[in-house]
Amino acid sequence: AAAVLMLCMFAVMGKAEGSVAREEWHGHVTALSVAPEFRRLGLAAKLMELLEEISEKKGGFFVDLFVRVSNQVAVNMYKQLGYSVYRTVLEYYSASNGEPDEDAYDMRKALSRDTEKKSIIPLPHPVRPEDIE
Amino acid sequence: ADYLDNGNNKMAIQQADKLLKKHKDLHCAKVLKAIGLQRTGKQDEAYALAQEVAALEPTDDNSLQALTILYREMHRPELVTKLYEAAVKKVPNSEEYHSHLFMAYARVGEYKKMQQAGMALYKIVPKNPYYFWSVMSLIMQSISAQDENLSKTMFLPLAERMVEKMVKEDKIEAEAEVELYYMILERLEKYQEALDVVRGKLGGKFICQLIITVCMAMYKKLCRWPECNALSRRLLLKNSDDWQFYITYFDSVFQLIDESWTPPLEEEHSLEGEVHSSIEQAVKFIEERISEESKSSRPLRGPYLAKLELIRRLRCRGCNDEYKLGDPEELMFQYFKKFGDKPCCFTDLKVFVDLLPSSQYTKFISQLLEVIPLSAAAESEIALPADIKALQQHLCVVQLSRLLGIYHAMDKKQKLTVVRELMLRYRHGLEFGKTCLKTELQFSDYYCLLAVHLLLDLWLEEGEEMAVWQCLTLLEEGLSHSPSNAQFKLLLIRIYCRLGAFEPVAELYSSLDAKHIQHDTIGYLLTRYAEALGHYAAASQSCNFALRFFHSNQKDTSEYIIQAYKYGAFEKIPEFIAFRNRLNSSLHFAQVRTERMLLDLLLEANISTSLEESIKSMSLSPEEDDIPWKDLRDNRDLTVLFNWDPKDRDISEEHRKLSLEEETLWLRIRSLTLRLVSGLPTLSHTVQPKNSEKTAENGVSSKIDTVRSLLQQLEAAVDSGKKFLEQKIQYPVLGPPPTRMAGFFSNGSCQCQTSLFYLVSDIYELDTNGLEDSAEIQERIGNSFKSLIERLTDLFNKCKGDLIEIRDGTLKTQPNLLENLVFFVETISITLWVSSYCDGVLRPFKSNLQKKKKKKKETNVAMPPVFTHFLDYVTELQTLTSNVIDHIKGLEIILTALKLEELSLKDTLLLQEEKKFTKTVQGKVQSSYHHSVQEIGELLKKRLDTIKKLKI
Repeated sequence: AAAVLMLCMFAVMGKAEGSVAREEWHGHVTALSVAPEFRRLGLAAKLMELLEEISEKKGGFFVDLFVRVSNQVAVNMYKQLGYSVYRTVLEYYSASNGEPDEDAYDMRKALSRDTEKKSIIPLPHPVRPEDIE
Repeated sequence: ADYLDNGNNKMAIQQADKLLKKHKDLHCAKVLKAIGLQRTGKQDEAYALAQEVAALEPTDDNSLQALTILYREMHRPELVTKLYEAAVKKVPNSEEYHSHLFMAYARVGEYKKMQQAGMALYKIVPKNPYYFWSVMSLIMQSISAQDENLSKTMFLPLAERMVEKMVKEDKIEAEAEVELYYMILERLEKYQEALDVVRGKLGGKFICQLIITVCMAMYKKLCRWPECNALSRRLLLKNSDDWQFYITYFDSVFQLIDESWTPPLEEEHSLEGEVHSSIEQAVKFIEERISEESKSSRPLRGPYLAKLELIRRLRCRGCNDEYKLGDPEELMFQYFKKFGDKPCCFTDLKVFVDLLPSSQYTKFISQLLEVIPLSAAAESEIALPADIKALQQHLCVVQLSRLLGIYHAMDKKQKLTVVRELMLRYRHGLEFGKTCLKTELQFSDYYCLLAVHLLLDLWLEEGEEMAVWQCLTLLEEGLSHSPSNAQFKLLLIRIYCRLGAFEPVAELYSSLDAKHIQHDTIGYLLTRYAEALGHYAAASQSCNFALRFFHSNQKDTSEYIIQAYKYGAFEKIPEFIAFRNRLNSSLHFAQVRTERMLLDLLLEANISTSLEESIKSMSLSPEEDDIPWKDLRDNRDLTVLFNWDPKDRDISEEHRKLSLEEETLWLRIRSLTLRLVSGLPTLSHTVQPKNSEKTAENGVSSKIDTVRSLLQQLEAAVDSGKKFLEQKIQYPVLGPPPTRMAGFFSNGSCQCQTSLFYLVSDIYELDTNGLEDSAEIQERIGNSFKSLIERLTDLFNKCKGDLIEIRDGTLKTQPNLLENLVFFVETISITLWVSSYCDGVLRPFKSNLQKKKKKKKETNVAMPPVFTHFLDYVTELQTLTSNVIDHIKGLEIILTALKLEELSLKDTLLLQEEKKFTKTVQGKVQSSYHHSVQEIGELLKKRLDTIKKLKI
């Protein structure tokens, strides 16, 4: 059965030259999903582990992802995997059916290259989608 | 520019004008103005202005970028290449412009020019990526080459040499470069060389791509079974839960046995170490994995399933239990005890039920049931699970029971008892999900779904009318508790459509939030029914969803390809191209394209605009066929709805093949109909300069040939369609929905429509022949008119009957009456377009005759019979259409007057809260029918108005 679908992308923030110097070179989780019947088997953790491993090898400072604030199941799972909320992005998800837009958590986990774990110090204020690069 | 960003295009144009007054030749301002014009719908002006600037071959960054944006919005990416070609000629050392040029070529797929542009870039700035862009472009040339020989003897070897050169000079830097090398060798089928590269120094560059996966792929290609075996064995030692390695392990063991492979005495077994080449070794290895598993911190399914898989494979080879692996029934029972509380347990075991003898099914199921901790409050009551784990286990058994056909074998009464039990369990299970979020599914949802499947059997196999209402009732109830359950929604959609009620479907589908590729894979759920049931507005919208996706695909994939070049994700590029092709040759795409145009004509042609204008605005021409018939591919997801049916009732490959065949046949009929209609305006020669009469005549006569040839093709397509239907194929209930073709033939629309196009041919003959000596044609036309009226009347008769009525306390529906009514409206529309062509031919004849009459002042110039025939025909058409409109009004009255509250529902097993949902669903169906009838009636009224214009 098509149990798992995951799209990983290695994203560079900012300009290519500045990225490493500004310690913004990182791995990004675009999407992660596990079919309902294959949940609670630790598959998501395995996939995240794989992405983190690759991000380590590529010399990233951290791994990040966006998740709906309402998606408590996912938020808790990421917390268990060592991720923490770095900032809230207001109205990041545009809603259909006339419901209000939804905020996202930008969650991060520091990799070994970020020895002082600077990349995950939470921002004090939420940001707007247009302010994130 | 700010104004443009804000979408204030008018202000942008004004500002640009102001600037241009001061600085006449400010290119950039001109382009910005052009963008403003483009966005306000003045495409031609925008294009002219842009070309003015482009002709000057600008080299300033602003103008170039603005023009790029403009051309992209105009969907003219090829103009961007021209722009940068000129720019690099003027500034030959610009890395930036060269790289823009490369990307511009990438957007339009000019692979050869990309190759050159990449090399040109590398010469200016010797950066590795540029060199490899060029190499990748060679691979793309090889992929797109029609001639495989050319690709294998020229493009790929050239690419290989280019990479080898870099390897020799020790210039390989990135993982992407090694991947590219591997891609080339693999495509050249140089698997050994590929293996050497990956296992050598260059393999060290691999990060994302795992060396072992690549090696394994190469070993398989090279049939190096010892290596396959040793590697998979080693990997299983490390992780005994990776299914793909078990498969390779078993494949290789049996391959080695068949080859009578023996290990070498002295050296290593293989490059990858120890090899297993006997069944004994394999059995021992799997048993070891199982005993290792017991030490693992979390239970692993792999080893246990591997044992069952090994038994399955041994059985296929005629071995039963010589190797003492155990009884599959017992092993599955043990598996259930260990993993029965996981939702995946059913899917895991499904693969192995073939190992059970059918005589053991009932015993097996009761054995499983016995170990589930269930408790009953009283002796007579159903024993219920006390926690989620027990519920999951029980649910697994219910699913297995359905799979083993135990429910199918029951009689009606037993089935109904099971439905009651499942619903009780469903409602009880909701207790465990009280804290579930709206986005989560309820633990017991499958109970409800399985109950509905049983009811569906009762409805469709045993003709139990009430069962369908109960299906909808339970699903609506389920959805109210579990609003994110897509299976509930999908099944509701299928059932409502089958009942002819489209109105609730639109909302259900939209709540599924189908995205991107899903417009192609599940869009058929909507487009098959919306128009067929007379929900024209919804039908337009459904087609639009799909078309918007398909049209943006072209642009989007170019964007992905550009990104892939930038990030060196070379292996993705051919995938993106394949994806684009897959969408372009989609059956669904061709269908919505065709149906959308037919629908637009149906709703507008000769109502709000003339048929001729409508056809022109769609750039339709009878000669053109844009459907890739040979490459048409079925991207529909036909298994999107869950089912637990035994294999012999499930959707088979054969069903898929037949359904694709049926869809293609129907599409051919529809597409030919569309092209025939689009041929109508080409036949009339209203505007014709006198001196060029001869040439125009030739032009038109070739048009009638086209129409006649299309008509022949239509006849052939209809024949094939009829032959297909003679097979009387029954798809599984939840399998592909049948097309509208059967209805089209049986209600007589097909006969009407084909005879209409024959009539066109006759009228054309009369037109070219003139009225004199045309008695025979005139009579033929007259007879056609008469039989047409008869056929249309027959078609109308097929629309009569009760759409919905209360009989014997239950609600009965006849949705096929709706489909017939829709076909009637379509057929009458085509009739009117043809009649209007006829009118166009006869009118000048009549006025000529009248002129003659006046000149000669003769009173006894006889009116040719064709005029009377036509007038009679139009009158009858008008009467018939009015009758149908009256019939529809009658339906509306019945639908409004129908009081569903009077339905007692007393005779049913429904609970009080269920009755509430039943009333709701019946109300939805009633309201949907009302909606259909209204839309159909309104359209028909508009058509009636056009008849009045036909009185010559």
